[in-house]
This record gives sequence, structure tokens and C-alpha cells, in this order.
Amino acid sequence: MPSASKSPATEREIAPTPAALGARPAKRLQAPQTLQCALPLTAPTLPQRMLTPTTAWRLWFCIYLPNLPLEASGSMHDVSEDGRVVVEEQQGIHRVLLADAKAQAAGIQPGQSANAALALKSTLRLEERSQLREQQALESLAAWLEQFTSVVCIAGSDVVLLEIAGSLRLYGGLQSLRQQIAAGLRQQGFDASLAIAPTPLGSTWLARGGRRSCIREAENLAAALRTLPLACLDWPAALCESLTGMGIDSIGDCVRLPREGFARRFGARRLLELDRALGRLPDPRTGWRSAERFCADYEMTEEQSDCELLLTICRELLQSLEQFLLVRQLGTQHVRFNFFHLKSPATSLSLRCAAADRSVDHWFDLLRIRFERLTLPEPVISVRLYGGGTQALQAETGRLAFHGMATRHERQYSIAQLAERIAARIGTQSVQGITTVAEHRPHSAWRLQSKLCDKVVGASSMVKRSMIKRGLQRPLWLLPEPALLPAEQGLPLHQGRLTLLEGPERLETGWWDEDGIARDYYTAVNPRGVHLWVFRNRNRTPVWYLHGIFG
Amino acid sequence: MRQVSPSLDKLLENPRLWRGHSQRHATSGLASGYERLDRHLPGGGWPQQALTEILIEQYGIGELRLLIPALARLSAEDPIANCADPGWIAWVAPPFQPYPPALQQSGINLSRILLVRPKNDSEVLWCAEQALSSGACAAVLLWSNTLDDQASRRLQLAAEKGQSWAIAFRPLAARTEPSAAALRIELQPGERGTRLSILKSRGGRPAVLHDVL
Repeated sequence: MPSASKSPATEREIAPTPAALGARPAKRLQAPQTLQCALPLTAPTLPQRMLTPTTAWRLWFCIYLPNLPLEASGSMHDVSEDGRVVVEEQQGIHRVLLADAKAQAAGIQPGQSANAALALKSTLRLEERSQLREQQALESLAAWLEQFTSVVCIAGSDVVLLEIAGSLRLYGGLQSLRQQIAAGLRQQGFDASLAIAPTPLGSTWLARGGRRSCIREAENLAAALRTLPLACLDWPAALCESLTGMGIDSIGDCVRLPREGFARRFGARRLLELDRALGRLPDPRTGWRSAERFCADYEMTEEQSDCELLLTICRELLQSLEQFLLVRQLGTQHVRFNFFHLKSPATSLSLRCAAADRSVDHWFDLLRIRFERLTLPEPVISVRLYGGGTQALQAETGRLAFHGMATRHERQYSIAQLAERIAARIGTQSVQGITTVAEHRPHSAWRLQSKLCDKVVGASSMVKRSMIKRGLQRPLWLLPEPALLPAEQGLPLHQGRLTLLEGPERLETGWWDEDGIARDYYTAVNPRGVHLWVFRNRNRTPVWYLHGIFG
Repeated sequence: MRQVSPSLDKLLENPRLWRGHSQRHATSGLASGYERLDRHLPGGGWPQQALTEILIEQYGIGELRLLIPALARLSAEDPIANCADPGWIAWVAPPFQPYPPALQQSGINLSRILLVRPKNDSEVLWCAEQALSSGACAAVLLWSNTLDDQASRRLQLAAEKGQSWAIAFRPLAARTEPSAAALRIELQPGERGTRLSILKSRGGRPAVLHDVL
């Protein structure tokens, strides 16, 4: 057990625990059930790493949302003229939990009964408190906050904690980070109280106290917490009352009490909380993670068939997808929209792109092309967006603009986009690349290549140029199937009698599979000047075929 | 001092009015690989960032051979001029299958070919326009029987926007129709090989060449 004498810094803060107390037989201490956990009776020494900010330094950013029930109950955009209050049933009576500014101006106070509030203002909008909706609002806020740090904790019903020590450099310092978060919260309609401190509980209490404090050093924490009133602690009202009855009004007063007696009277947990808030004991927190697969719904109040409106809704959904992917540094190659109708089964619309992407504009562009050709069987009542499997986005370095010419990467990117756009309109099978295959049979010497695979960057063709002999002419156009040519006196006819120019080039191969050939290929020209690639089957009855046109 | 009537001024402001001298002339064309043809083309080669129309009666009389040297140069990787990235060549609605071994033989970089096969003619125009204006394609070849004046104007604008070279293959019957193309060439089989007629050449003169290929 660490002794108090080892931490002179804390000795002044904490009531000096008599050395004799610590040495006393444990019988007396173990008797009450209040000390279930092994709590040090003397103030624990501050862990060394808390004192030295250079190693494993932690900084907690607390977002306290005092008006969350009000904010979660309705959209902040529909400003009602007459004020809103959130009511909650307490012992059979609906009581006002929170009132907005307009309601407060009418004299409505939290704690009043709903009837009293209505008597003050009859046009008031009453809303039942929904803890589910509060939780959802908190989670969506936490999901948004994940972009700032990897450690986001939901602590209780109205507090979100962020560990930001590792994010300061990226976001340009504490002040800038704080401004960004504050601006985002305001934009989302949250009225939040923010505080920064080296311990999670310390920052929570400061935020609850409404102190816009920003404490970076562990040494300054105790001084800042000392003046906070008991109401910030979120302890049971009865406990706070009895403490107040004893003349203890602030955290500083609590800390000054003898530890042993405090633990016995008020519970070891409260002492533990105090120690954790002051950074004397570690306070491990479990980070909150949002779902790994994106799925979002947009419910409409009535059926809609207006395309522009539906597109706007889809765009909003895509925006939340982008946000979702952004905080995870991921992209996706595939998204799916489901348009739900009242009677017909849902209409599904899948979009694919060549490379993993997350940008709204890109997906929206593809969606617009597809949407033009989509026929909805009936109006839409709700839209759902599923994000496909995710993959890590590869970071690209910027380039120096020396020549003002498109670089390789830029062009690759736009060809991928072009292929996606065209495929979105006319079908994936209609956009392809081609490559050669090392094969002597003309019809198998090439194949199509999907341009919508992961790797659009041209795979070098399999046949080395040296493999194709210079002397052997191949036509630029190949017919899908060899066409039978009539013959006259042993020479084929195609718009007149053909003149054989070159040949024969004998191809006799493929006997090992069903597709074997035995042909003599000739270059021929017809009376109209068209150069053709024809062959004669080397069967008992030779027949002429047209296989290509020289273009 | 020249007197200019207000009504003429008004007419000149009309954007639909095409004035020959206001068109910027292509300073340098893309060498076609056929010296005799280059001599007849303004800028010494195929007009870039513009629409070229090739009118043919039937396939196989050298319409592709005419373009291949220029296309090969566009798609080739040039290690010396490393800032110039080889461009893509889009083939929109080709009448047959372009045969990769032959293309490779002629020096075309196969990894830079994009084949687009739309299902109907209106989509041909859409795809070609997209490919031209994307800026990704150095050249876009399209085969269409229903191209009209308005469509050719759109292709011309898209080619200017994407700094690309549009080549439209059209039937001979289209020679009497107006077109916004910068260059119109007619190919016909003749006694002395394929006859090439330059019907229209922006900044150049019509000409008839025999046995160019």
C-alpha cells in the first residue's frame, strides 16, 4: 500500500490521514459492507505518468448535453411559435423536465406539472420524453465524433467523452479542435457544455459545472475541481443533501474529509470516483464503436413520386454514408438503394464503381444516370441505403503541377469514372477492354477484359510483341463467326470473285480439344477493293469461309 | 472609315452565325502517317480537338488503316516525353470485333482500348459524348448511321471540351447532309486503289487523292 508521505503534493489536498489509521488493525475497516473493493485508505500516489506529460499523456474532452431530451424529441428545424417542453411521468404526474426558451419566457419551469404549464400557456407543445430517441441521438453524435479521435465513450445518458491527446496535431491544436467540434455541435442543433481535463471524470464534472475550462496539466486539475459544487457530481440527491447538511458544498470540501470515514459513510464507490477524477487512480474507459456496415433509412411522412425530391433524399443518405466511411478511412465499391412502396415490393437499385470510393458527388453522379431510367411502380414511402463491403482507401500523394498536363493517375481515374458512367447507363457488359492471348487459333487469340474490375490500370497484354511474326498479316476486323462463302471454279466469291494475294498460312492446331482447326488462310481482295481474310477448310470437301476484314 | 450598319452589328452578335476568319486554326495537326495526305491537311495532319468524319460505302476499304498510324502514336508509351501520358482510345459501337492481335501488330497499345457497345443509336451518341468530354480519351471512334447536324455539333463541342479527337464513320449517303465536322473525308474504291476525297477541311481546301493507302 503506498504511503501518504510519498506524495507530498497531494497531502495538502487530502485530509492528512493519520499514519496510525493506516496501521490500525483491519478488523474495524472490514466490518462495514461499504468497503467491498480494495480501496486504499490512504490517498494513492499519483501515478508517475500522470505527472509527466511526456509519457502516455491523456486529455479528455467532455461534451455534456444538458438539453438532450428536448433536442432529441424533435427536429430543431421546426421552430414552433409557442415553445416546447418535454414532460416525464414522475409518480403518476406528468412533470416538465425541460422547457425551451420560449416556454421559459412564459414562466414555465422544470418540475412544474404539465397542467400547470398548460395553464401558463395553452398553446404549448408537450412532448413525452423518449429515452430511446435520446440514446439514438447520442449514438449518432458519437458516430459523428469518431472522425476526431479513435476513443469515443458514451458515459451515461447525456455525456460523450473523447480522448483527444493524439488528435491535437492533426486538427491544428486544442483551440482549433475545440472550435471544430463546437461548430459541428451547433450545426447539429445541440446545446453543449464543453470541458477539457486530463481525467475523464474530471472533465465530466467540469462540463456539468458549466465551466468552459481547458486544463492540460494534471497539476492544475485539483485546483479547478475543488471549487465545483456538489451538483456537478451526479450523485444521488439524498447523498448530496446529507453532505450539504454537514456543511460540505464543494468537491474541495469532500476531498478534505478523512478518507476512511468518507468511504464508510458515503460508500467506497464515491471515494473511488473522487480519486479517479483527481487522477490518483486509473480510470479505464471502453471505447464506443458504431456498426461496421452502413445502413440508413429515410422515412417519409407521405408517399412521394417526385424524382427530384427522391434524388435529394438519396443525396442526404449518401452524405451520411460518406461521413460513415470518412471516419473509418474506408471506401466502398458497391451501394444499394431500396425504395419501399406501400403495396408493391421494394424497388432495388445497385450501383457499382471501379475503385473503392466514398465521395458523395461520385455516387450521386452514377445514381442520377441510373435514376433517369428507373421506373417506380408506385410512389415511395421510404428509402434505405446499404453500403457494400468496405475496403481501405489508398492514400494518394499530391502532385506538383509542372506541365499542366494530366498525369497518369489523373487520367486513370477519369477513365475509371468514364467506364462507370457508361456502364451505369448501358450495362456492365457493354464496357470492355481487350487483350491478346497466346494462342494460334485466330478466334481464341484474344479475349475481352472487364473494365469495371478493381484494377482498371491496363494490365499489359499477355503476348509479347515479339511473339507475333511481322510477316503474318492479321485483319483489323474479325467476324464473330466465320461466314460461309460461295465458290466458283475453286475461288471464293464475295461481291465478285476474290483474288488471292497472300497465302496460304496453314493453321492446324487445337487437335487436343474439341475446337481443333485445320485451315489455310489467305489474304484476298474483291473487285471493290475490300481486303478480306478468308480460309479454306482442309477437309475432303474444301469450303471457303470469310473470317476477317482488313479495315 | 468603314460604315457598319446597326442591323449588321446585331446580326454579327448572333452566336449562331459562323464566321470563317474567327475560327482558330489548328496550329499543328496530328501527323497521319501518310505524307501525301498530311500535305493536304491544314496543320499537317489530323485536326485535333475536333470532329473528323469518314464517309464510307462499305467496311474494309482501308478506313481503319488510314487512322492506325495516328492512333498508334496516341496510345504509345513514350519514355522520352514522360509527362505526356498515353491516351485512351474508345471504340463506340464498332460494326465488327476489333481484332487485338492485328491492333497490336500495328503498334496500338491494347491496354488503352475501351470498347463500348451501346444497344441503340441514341446511346451511341451519348456514350461518345461522355467519352469525348471526360478528358480521358485521346481519341473516340464511333460508328453511327443516324448522326445528324445537331449531333455532329454536339460531338464537335465535346471534343473541344475534352481536348479529344472524335472520328465518326458514316455512310456515303450522309455526304449531302450538313455537318459541323472540321474535316470530312470520303473513301471510295477506285481503279487505282482507294480514292480519298477531302470534302470539307476547316482552313484547308477540298482535294482528291488516289491510292494514298
